[in-house]
Amino acid sequence: METKFKYTPEIPEVFRCRVPLPGTSQAFLLNGVLTEEYRDGAGVVVLSEGEMGFRIAVPAGSSSNDSTQIITVRDNKDTSPITFSNSISLGANSSSNFLLCTHTLTLDEFITESEINISAEEGSNCQIVVMQNEHNFSSHKIKFNIVQKRDSFVRINLVTLHGAKIENIIDAKLTEPGALCELNGIYLADGKQQINTTINMNHLVPHCNSRQLFKGILDNEARASFSGKIVVSKDAQKTEAYQSNHNLLLSRQAKVYAQPQLEIYADDVKCSHGATSGRLDENALFYMRSRGIGAAEAKLLQQIAFVYDVLEKINNEQLRNRLQEMVESRLRGEFSHCANCSMNCC
Amino acid sequence: MLTIKGLHASIDGKEILKGIDLTVKAGEVHAIMGPNGSGKSTLSSVLAGRETFEVTAGEVEYNGVKLLELDAEERARMGLFLGFQYPVEIPGVSNVNFMKTAINEKRKYMNLPPLTAAEFLKLMREKMAVVEMDSSFSSRGVNVGFSGGEKKRNEIFQMAMLEPTLAILDETDSGLDIDALRIVASGVNKLKRPDNAFIVITHYQRLLDYIVPDIVHVLYDGRIIKTAGKELALEVEERGYDWLINA
Ligand SMILES: Nc1ncnc2c1ncn2[C@@H]1O[C@H](COP(=O)(O)OP(=O)(O)OP(=O)(O)O)[C@@H](O)[C@H]1O
Ligand SMILES: [Mg+2]
Repeated sequence: METKFKYTPEIPEVFRCRVPLPGTSQAFLLNGVLTEEYRDGAGVVVLSEGEMGFRIAVPAGSSSNDSTQIITVRDNKDTSPITFSNSISLGANSSSNFLLCTHTLTLDEFITESEINISAEEGSNCQIVVMQNEHNFSSHKIKFNIVQKRDSFVRINLVTLHGAKIENIIDAKLTEPGALCELNGIYLADGKQQINTTINMNHLVPHCNSRQLFKGILDNEARASFSGKIVVSKDAQKTEAYQSNHNLLLSRQAKVYAQPQLEIYADDVKCSHGATSGRLDENALFYMRSRGIGAAEAKLLQQIAFVYDVLEKINNEQLRNRLQEMVESRLRGEFSHCANCSMNCC
Repeated sequence: MLTIKGLHASIDGKEILKGIDLTVKAGEVHAIMGPNGSGKSTLSSVLAGRETFEVTAGEVEYNGVKLLELDAEERARMGLFLGFQYPVEIPGVSNVNFMKTAINEKRKYMNLPPLTAAEFLKLMREKMAVVEMDSSFSSRGVNVGFSGGEKKRNEIFQMAMLEPTLAILDETDSGLDIDALRIVASGVNKLKRPDNAFIVITHYQRLLDYIVPDIVHVLYDGRIIKTAGKELALEVEERGYDWLINA
């Protein structure tokens, strides 16, 4: 690689100038290392404990509408492959919001592997939005391990916008009755990008619910895979578990491998899964064009419409609007024309 | 305004339009009738620019330009409107967004600035009133979950928004109850001006009681086999098509 694009300002300033959303505080993980520890008014702490990665603790009973944003950045100060582990502990009856962003600042061939262990105590409620926007040389694998206790609610909304190879693995264990786990995701890929999603939803006890909605739009020679498994163990009666995965292929060369799997050992359950892949609707395109909407705009409208219901799952309206804009500019192809695409941060 | 000469069109090698000649002048209302499968919707699709049909011969002049050389969107921006026989559902695109995009693309083409949000809403409200459409429809996905009649009303609403020069209405009356029919027809009549024209495709004389045509054509097997005044519609209603086909 010859000319590497470099960003001169210090990273945190670069991102702070992107104006955090109101009610959102930011912490930075630079090449896997937390730049500064953090504590907010509601008692949420983000610590390193002397290791790579972050350790987040949400105290029991704490409740806040504010959001904590962790910005994971890679740059040329450390281009070696890194692996680290993070954790989020959600105290009993707490409620919290997180925004996890991953970015690359230089065009190096980064390899990043991380693990995020999420433990949700009884009655906790947590909304996590993950925004992934990395350069075309970056491979990033994140494994979420979620363990949920009684009446806890964990919702993860993944928004994967850019990156050479992004792998998201989510392993969720619903270990006590009343737990609800909701996983949603959008993945957008073009060129030779690859996005793989693997989900293991484990219903271990009765009366738990899970819902999954994943949608992808693939152009050029992009590849995506979605393998989603729901396992309902023998005792887990009254389980409700749903999964759907839909893909829109914009080119003949784009490919998606969808592999939904249900393993149900209980008999009194409601489970469903569905996977589709399709192309733009020619009738709808012609309808729009017959109203004067240009072909490119008509295609874009249809793509935005396709992922719309997934973005709707993001409950913070301001964040949702920002992500909607980013998705739109991504679909307009504005990211690939722009060397500093990864600077688009929430 | 519109001159069609010797228009032939086919799909997958199958000829559907087999030589259509038709002239529409400003201020006129033309009705096209004809049995199922005779090519009425094909003719409207070809005029609107649907690329799945291949024009194999003939030409179409629209307000001094060669229509067939233009893309569908260009035709629309130049004032051509097609009211679909089967309006398309577009989940996730709201009626408001759809219309805002359409209006502003047209304005851009006409070198006009986009409408402000307030101007747009005012226009939208005004035109929804024309077709007595409830404002709750504006936030819904385009035609999604609309009843058959509501879809047709939405076509007339869109027409009212876009104020076309030439509107082709493909069976806008089918599926409408009598009240809706009146609303749709009065919508059309309100939009009628000396400088625009309508082509109304229908199976029923009923609509033509409300929208009185100047000229009625009968299309059969890809050709116009009869052209006459509005009395032709009555005659078709009474006698069917056989007497024309076998003539
Ligand atoms: N996409 C298509 N593929 C193959 N054949 C088609 C296609 N579209 C139309 N046709 C055929 O072209 C012929 C004319 O169809 P068209 O829809 O234009 O008829 P129409 O006069 O509008 O009929 P109706 O009164 O039933 O609406 C029919 O035989 C139809 O089957
Ligand atoms: Mg028809």
